[in-house]
Amino acid sequence: MNLGKLVWRNLLRRRGRFIFTLAGVSVGMAAFVALMTIGQGLTGEIRKQAQGLGANLVVTPKGWCAYEQISVLTGEQLPEAIPMSELEKIRAVPGVKSAVPYLNEKTAFRNQPVPVIGIWPQEMRTLQKWTVESGRYFNAPDERAVVIGAAIAKQFQLKPGDEFTVRGKPLPVIGVLREAGTKDDIATFIPLPLAQQIYEVQDKVSFIAVQVTDLEQMEAVSLNIQEVANVAVVSDKQLLASILSIVGTVGAAMQAVAAVGVLAAAFGIVNTLLTAVYERQREIGILQAIGSTRRTLFLAFMLESGLYGLLGGLLGTALGVLGAYLFGPALTDNAFTASLRQSPTPALDEVTILFTLGFSVGLALLAGLYPAYRAAKLSPVEAMRHV
Amino acid sequence: MSEAVIALESVSKTYGSGAATTQAVSDVSMSVARGTWVAIMGPSGHGKSTLLQLIGGLDRPSAGRIVLDGAEIGSLDATKLAAVRGRKIGFVFQFFNLMPYLTALENVEIALWLGGAAKRNGRAMELLEHFGLGDKAHHLPGMLSGGQQQRVAIARALANDPDILLMDEPTGNLDSAAEAELLTLLDGLHQAGKTLLMVTHNPAVAARAERVLQVKDGRIVADTRNGTV
Repeated sequence: MNLGKLVWRNLLRRRGRFIFTLAGVSVGMAAFVALMTIGQGLTGEIRKQAQGLGANLVVTPKGWCAYEQISVLTGEQLPEAIPMSELEKIRAVPGVKSAVPYLNEKTAFRNQPVPVIGIWPQEMRTLQKWTVESGRYFNAPDERAVVIGAAIAKQFQLKPGDEFTVRGKPLPVIGVLREAGTKDDIATFIPLPLAQQIYEVQDKVSFIAVQVTDLEQMEAVSLNIQEVANVAVVSDKQLLASILSIVGTVGAAMQAVAAVGVLAAAFGIVNTLLTAVYERQREIGILQAIGSTRRTLFLAFMLESGLYGLLGGLLGTALGVLGAYLFGPALTDNAFTASLRQSPTPALDEVTILFTLGFSVGLALLAGLYPAYRAAKLSPVEAMRHV
Repeated sequence: MSEAVIALESVSKTYGSGAATTQAVSDVSMSVARGTWVAIMGPSGHGKSTLLQLIGGLDRPSAGRIVLDGAEIGSLDATKLAAVRGRKIGFVFQFFNLMPYLTALENVEIALWLGGAAKRNGRAMELLEHFGLGDKAHHLPGMLSGGQQQRVAIARALANDPDILLMDEPTGNLDSAAEAELLTLLDGLHQAGKTLLMVTHNPAVAARAERVLQVKDGRIVADTRNGTV
């Protein structure tokens, strides 16, 4: 007989209460883990998309809201607002290495919305370092053809030689890009002049991605661009920061909700243990009569509480990870992340698991303090008076 | 005359305060020689159990000194007092008070653990076998008869080989056969040199002791010897 054995026996005495209290802790921790995991997965995904942009500065029309700025990264449809004449001015600014225009549009293909992006074929290939998986890339800057992302090819079972339609206009699929893990996988690309013609936007583009020659001069280049052209400029870092702050706020709100659940579970532990202390008053008195110190009683209840935390944390982590994989895609399918269609992979690492277990056990120990104190301060005679 | 293993000097115990004050034990002085079997008798609610609890270090006196085996226990802190309860004293109660969720063997082992016995292996089983309960070692208390439960309780009380056994109506819940068995068992412990202090209502049980104390209104009103010694 030892403390561990005594505590374990006590824990399992009231099976129902044990199971329900444990369920409370597990569910609370599961929600916490799921949201934390999803949040981390989402953040990781956004960072990857931002890198995929391959530009230092993004030129947008003046007055764009945060949502539109984010869409630059996510590949959503965007208003066509910058005339090509502005692009020429920007290309002329000293320190601008390259400036490539994007026209982000959308078409319906077999009743599914598909992003159509008008690009400058040669410049884009250099910027994005695309590799063609099958078929070939554009031969001319105004070829009437479409190059598609890997995920689109898979989704619609398309291969080079097949036909794709943009706004009802049939175009041959000439190539499929190699999977990059970014939004490019779920988009289709056509030369910019063709896109402007099909979407009847004259010479307008959605935004312009700019690379600078010297990163040190980024601020100056940004100011110069805004001086020569009637546009707004944000850096990729600002863009990333503003998205992460929105996602972070949403994530923090979700985690706060989860924390409330965890807190409720902690109160559940307090409740269960206080009931146990009350029920076992007589036994506590007897244990004292046969030599138990107050410290032993205190430790016994703390250990019982800690076990709820440990078991609940383990179960909760397992459930939470499962939940993140099952429901993560649905939960994160909102306006900000609509384009991350390959569903952010929930990020799970040892740090997350250890943090969760530590949090769970720590909170449970905190919850155990009061009941354990109550048990330890019972006087043996008082305790034994209870039948 | 052998040395006093238990000595009380003007011990009083009051509960509550002001008008609601109850004097459970009033100015009791007495001593018990090592190896004596003492019965404490008296009407219910006159302080017998309180006296036993004070001697056993379960409660502290409001006034006076209690000396166990030469050591004053009133000045001990809670942890040292717990150690005294674990090693020097064995408690036996009327309602057996075994842990219902532990087997007979575990009930004895828990006392060994709490008493801090260094070598516990086999000791619990030895005790149970000694009291004829070897085959019941893995039974839960609920599966045992009253007499068997009380024998487990005595085995538990003896786990750390204490000098003193304090018993609060140990036969109060036993039928006559089990009572006779228990008294035989206590005879054996007495012969082995244990000091036994037993609260009882039953004169036939008290007659087995060497010395009988009559308690009334928290005082010892009579102290008689039963002829032996």
